[in-house]
Amino acid sequence: MSTTPPHRKRNIFVKGAIPPSFIAESIAKHATRTDIGAHEIFLGQVRSDAMSGTGDGSMAPTVSAIEYTAYRDMANEQMNAIREEAFARWPQMTCLHVHHSQGVIKAGELCFMVFASSPHRQQAREAVAYVTDEVKKRLPIFGKEILSDTTHVWKRNT
Amino acid sequence: MDVLLFGMVAEKAGAISIAVEARSLVELRRELSERIPGIERLSYAIAVDRQVIHEDRALTGTEEIAVLPPFAGG
Repeated sequence: MSTTPPHRKRNIFVKGAIPPSFIAESIAKHATRTDIGAHEIFLGQVRSDAMSGTGDGSMAPTVSAIEYTAYRDMANEQMNAIREEAFARWPQMTCLHVHHSQGVIKAGELCFMVFASSPHRQQAREAVAYVTDEVKKRLPIFGKEILSDTTHVWKRNT
Repeated sequence: MDVLLFGMVAEKAGAISIAVEARSLVELRRELSERIPGIERLSYAIAVDRQVIHEDRALTGTEEIAVLPPFAGG
Protein backbone atom coordinates (compact mmCIF):
# COMPACT_ATOMS: atom_id res chain seq x y z
CA MET A 1 0.00 0.00 0.00
CA SER A 2 1.21 3.53 -0.60
CA THR A 3 1.15 4.16 3.17
CA THR A 4 3.84 1.51 3.71
CA PRO A 5 7.25 2.92 4.65
CA PRO A 6 9.47 2.33 1.62
CA HIS A 7 12.17 0.38 3.48
CA ARG A 8 9.96 -2.10 5.31
CA LYS A 9 11.32 -5.63 4.90
CA ARG A 10 9.09 -7.54 2.55
CA ASN A 11 9.24 -11.08 1.33
CA ILE A 12 7.85 -11.84 -2.10
CA PHE A 13 8.36 -15.61 -1.93
CA VAL A 14 5.62 -18.15 -1.42
CA LYS A 15 6.11 -21.87 -1.07
CA GLY A 16 4.68 -23.78 -4.02
CA ALA A 17 2.29 -22.59 -6.72
CA ILE A 18 0.13 -19.48 -6.34
CA PRO A 19 -3.46 -20.74 -6.03
CA PRO A 20 -6.02 -18.95 -8.25
CA SER A 21 -8.10 -18.44 -5.08
CA PHE A 22 -5.24 -16.34 -3.63
CA ILE A 23 -5.58 -13.96 -6.57
CA ALA A 24 -9.34 -13.70 -6.09
CA GLU A 25 -8.77 -12.95 -2.39
CA SER A 26 -6.15 -10.32 -3.26
CA ILE A 27 -8.69 -8.56 -5.45
CA ALA A 28 -11.36 -8.81 -2.76
CA LYS A 29 -9.06 -7.17 -0.18
CA HIS A 30 -9.09 -3.98 -2.24
CA ALA A 31 -12.86 -3.51 -2.05
CA THR A 32 -12.47 -1.07 0.85
CA ARG A 33 -10.10 1.14 -1.18
CA THR A 34 -12.73 3.12 -3.04
CA ASP A 35 -10.11 5.51 -4.46
CA ILE A 36 -9.02 2.66 -6.75
CA GLY A 37 -10.52 2.61 -10.22
CA ALA A 38 -8.28 0.07 -11.97
CA HIS A 39 -6.47 -3.15 -11.18
CA GLU A 40 -3.87 -4.59 -13.53
CA ILE A 41 -2.55 -8.12 -12.94
CA PHE A 42 0.21 -10.11 -14.61
CA LEU A 43 0.29 -13.84 -13.89
CA GLY A 44 3.14 -16.12 -14.90
CA GLN A 45 2.22 -19.74 -15.59
CA VAL A 46 4.65 -22.63 -16.06
CA ARG A 47 4.64 -23.52 -19.74
CA SER A 48 5.18 -27.03 -21.03
CA ASP A 49 7.83 -26.17 -23.63
CA ALA A 50 9.13 -28.90 -25.90
CA MET A 51 12.91 -29.16 -25.73
CA SER A 52 14.79 -29.21 -29.02
CA GLY A 53 14.88 -32.74 -30.40
CA THR A 54 17.94 -34.95 -30.12
CA GLY A 55 17.92 -35.47 -33.88
CA ASP A 56 17.59 -39.24 -33.58
CA GLY A 57 13.87 -39.18 -34.29
CA SER A 58 12.86 -39.75 -30.67
CA MET A 59 10.14 -37.59 -29.15
CA ALA A 60 11.45 -34.34 -27.70
CA PRO A 61 10.85 -34.19 -23.93
CA THR A 62 8.61 -31.44 -22.59
CA VAL A 63 8.84 -29.35 -19.42
CA SER A 64 6.70 -30.98 -16.75
CA ALA A 65 7.64 -28.62 -13.89
CA ILE A 66 10.06 -25.88 -12.85
CA GLU A 67 11.85 -26.00 -9.52
CA TYR A 68 12.50 -22.43 -8.43
CA THR A 69 15.22 -21.48 -5.97
CA ALA A 70 16.36 -17.98 -5.07
CA TYR A 71 18.95 -15.89 -3.31
CA ARG A 72 16.16 -14.56 -1.20
CA ASP A 73 17.84 -11.69 0.65
CA MET A 74 19.16 -10.17 -2.56
CA ALA A 75 15.90 -10.81 -4.44
CA ASN A 76 13.86 -9.07 -1.75
CA GLU A 77 16.29 -6.13 -1.69
CA GLN A 78 16.14 -5.82 -5.48
CA MET A 79 12.36 -6.00 -5.31
CA ASN A 80 12.28 -3.15 -2.79
CA ALA A 81 14.38 -1.06 -5.20
CA ILE A 82 12.08 -1.89 -8.14
CA ARG A 83 9.05 -1.06 -5.98
CA GLU A 84 10.48 2.35 -5.10
CA GLU A 85 11.28 3.04 -8.76
CA ALA A 86 7.71 2.13 -9.71
CA PHE A 87 6.15 4.40 -7.08
CA ALA A 88 8.47 7.23 -8.16
CA ARG A 89 7.47 6.81 -11.82
CA TRP A 90 3.76 6.26 -11.23
CA PRO A 91 3.05 8.26 -8.06
CA GLN A 92 -0.71 7.86 -8.35
CA MET A 93 -0.40 4.10 -8.05
CA THR A 94 -2.32 3.04 -4.96
CA CYS A 95 -0.60 -0.27 -4.28
CA LEU A 96 1.66 -2.91 -5.73
CA HIS A 97 1.84 -6.57 -4.76
CA VAL A 98 4.42 -9.04 -6.08
CA HIS A 99 4.67 -12.74 -5.30
CA HIS A 100 6.95 -15.42 -6.71
CA SER A 101 6.95 -19.15 -6.09
CA GLN A 102 9.73 -21.26 -4.64
CA GLY A 103 9.85 -25.03 -4.95
CA VAL A 104 8.45 -27.31 -7.64
CA ILE A 105 5.70 -25.75 -9.77
CA LYS A 106 4.00 -28.02 -12.28
CA ALA A 107 3.18 -27.01 -15.86
CA GLY A 108 -0.10 -25.14 -15.85
CA GLU A 109 0.36 -23.77 -12.33
CA LEU A 110 0.97 -20.11 -11.49
CA CYS A 111 4.41 -19.06 -10.27
CA PHE A 112 4.45 -15.24 -10.46
CA MET A 113 2.01 -12.44 -9.78
CA VAL A 114 2.35 -8.68 -10.23
CA PHE A 115 -0.73 -6.76 -9.12
CA ALA A 116 -0.99 -2.96 -9.27
CA SER A 117 -3.92 -0.71 -8.52
CA SER A 118 -4.46 2.95 -9.29
CA PRO A 119 -7.28 5.46 -9.73
CA HIS A 120 -7.05 5.14 -13.54
CA ARG A 121 -5.89 2.30 -15.77
CA GLN A 122 -2.83 3.85 -17.42
CA GLN A 123 -0.63 3.96 -14.31
CA ALA A 124 -1.43 0.44 -13.16
CA ARG A 125 -0.90 -0.92 -16.67
CA GLU A 126 2.48 0.73 -17.18
CA ALA A 127 3.67 -0.14 -13.68
CA VAL A 128 2.83 -3.84 -14.07
CA ALA A 129 4.67 -4.02 -17.40
CA TYR A 130 7.72 -2.31 -15.89
CA VAL A 131 7.80 -4.35 -12.68
CA THR A 132 7.30 -7.65 -14.51
CA ASP A 133 10.24 -6.97 -16.85
CA GLU A 134 12.53 -5.72 -14.06
CA VAL A 135 11.79 -8.72 -11.84
CA LYS A 136 12.76 -11.06 -14.67
CA LYS A 137 15.98 -9.11 -15.29
CA ARG A 138 17.16 -8.27 -11.77
CA LEU A 139 15.97 -10.82 -9.23
CA PRO A 140 18.34 -13.74 -8.54
CA ILE A 141 15.79 -16.49 -9.04
CA PHE A 142 16.87 -19.76 -10.64
CA GLY A 143 14.69 -22.28 -12.46
CA LYS A 144 15.41 -25.93 -13.00
CA GLU A 145 13.14 -27.21 -15.77
CA ILE A 146 12.24 -30.80 -14.99
CA LEU A 147 11.54 -32.66 -18.21
CA SER A 148 9.12 -35.46 -18.99
CA ASP A 149 12.05 -37.87 -19.42
CA THR A 150 13.23 -36.99 -15.83
CA THR A 151 16.31 -35.09 -17.04
CA HIS A 152 16.53 -31.36 -16.42
CA VAL A 153 17.82 -28.16 -17.96
CA TRP A 154 18.40 -24.77 -16.34
CA LYS A 155 16.05 -22.05 -17.52
CA ARG A 156 17.47 -18.63 -18.37
CA ASN A 157 15.57 -15.44 -19.07
CA THR A 158 16.38 -13.82 -22.38
CA MET B 1 35.25 -16.64 3.28
CA ASP B 2 32.16 -18.68 2.53
CA VAL B 3 30.79 -18.05 -0.95
CA LEU B 4 27.11 -18.80 -1.61
CA LEU B 5 26.35 -20.89 -4.69
CA PHE B 6 23.06 -21.08 -6.56
CA GLY B 7 21.33 -22.92 -9.38
CA MET B 8 23.50 -24.70 -11.89
CA VAL B 9 26.68 -23.54 -10.11
CA ALA B 10 25.55 -25.19 -6.87
CA GLU B 11 24.66 -28.28 -8.86
CA LYS B 12 28.09 -28.39 -10.49
CA ALA B 13 29.85 -27.87 -7.15
CA GLY B 14 27.61 -30.33 -5.32
CA ALA B 15 27.30 -27.74 -2.52
CA ILE B 16 25.39 -24.58 -1.67
CA SER B 17 28.47 -22.81 -0.35
CA ILE B 18 32.22 -23.13 -0.65
CA ALA B 19 35.08 -21.78 1.50
CA VAL B 20 37.46 -19.72 -0.63
CA GLU B 21 40.47 -17.51 0.08
CA ALA B 22 40.50 -14.52 -2.27
CA ARG B 23 41.57 -10.90 -1.94
CA SER B 24 39.81 -9.68 -5.06
CA LEU B 25 37.04 -10.70 -7.45
CA VAL B 26 39.62 -11.67 -10.09
CA GLU B 27 41.27 -13.98 -7.55
CA LEU B 28 37.86 -15.31 -6.59
CA ARG B 29 37.03 -16.20 -10.21
CA ARG B 30 40.40 -17.94 -10.59
CA GLU B 31 39.83 -19.85 -7.35
CA LEU B 32 36.31 -20.87 -8.40
CA SER B 33 37.65 -22.21 -11.72
CA GLU B 34 40.09 -24.42 -9.81
CA ARG B 35 37.59 -25.61 -7.25
CA ILE B 36 34.52 -26.13 -9.46
CA PRO B 37 35.53 -27.93 -12.66
CA GLY B 38 33.62 -26.63 -15.68
CA ILE B 39 32.44 -23.38 -14.03
CA GLU B 40 34.43 -21.33 -16.55
CA ARG B 41 32.11 -22.62 -19.28
CA LEU B 42 29.06 -21.25 -17.45
CA SER B 43 28.15 -17.62 -17.54
CA TYR B 44 27.85 -16.36 -13.99
CA ALA B 45 27.83 -13.07 -12.10
CA ILE B 46 29.24 -12.32 -8.67
CA ALA B 47 27.26 -10.39 -6.09
CA VAL B 48 29.03 -8.56 -3.27
CA ASP B 49 26.72 -7.70 -0.40
CA ARG B 50 23.73 -8.48 -2.61
CA GLN B 51 24.77 -6.23 -5.52
CA VAL B 52 26.07 -7.62 -8.82
CA ILE B 53 29.61 -6.29 -9.39
CA HIS B 54 31.03 -6.43 -12.93
CA GLU B 55 34.49 -4.90 -12.45
CA ASP B 56 37.29 -6.17 -10.21
CA ARG B 57 37.24 -5.17 -6.58
CA ALA B 58 39.32 -5.84 -3.46
CA LEU B 59 37.72 -8.11 -0.86
CA THR B 60 38.28 -7.92 2.89
CA GLY B 61 36.71 -11.26 3.70
CA THR B 62 33.75 -9.77 5.56
CA GLU B 63 31.52 -9.35 2.50
CA GLU B 64 28.59 -11.58 1.62
CA ILE B 65 29.66 -13.12 -1.70
CA ALA B 66 27.37 -15.08 -4.01
CA VAL B 67 27.89 -16.77 -7.38
CA LEU B 68 24.83 -16.26 -9.57
CA PRO B 69 24.07 -18.18 -12.76
CA PRO B 70 21.59 -16.66 -15.26
CA PHE B 71 18.33 -15.48 -13.71
CA ALA B 72 15.10 -17.29 -14.54
CA GLY B 73 12.38 -15.63 -12.48
CA GLY B 74 8.89 -15.05 -13.76
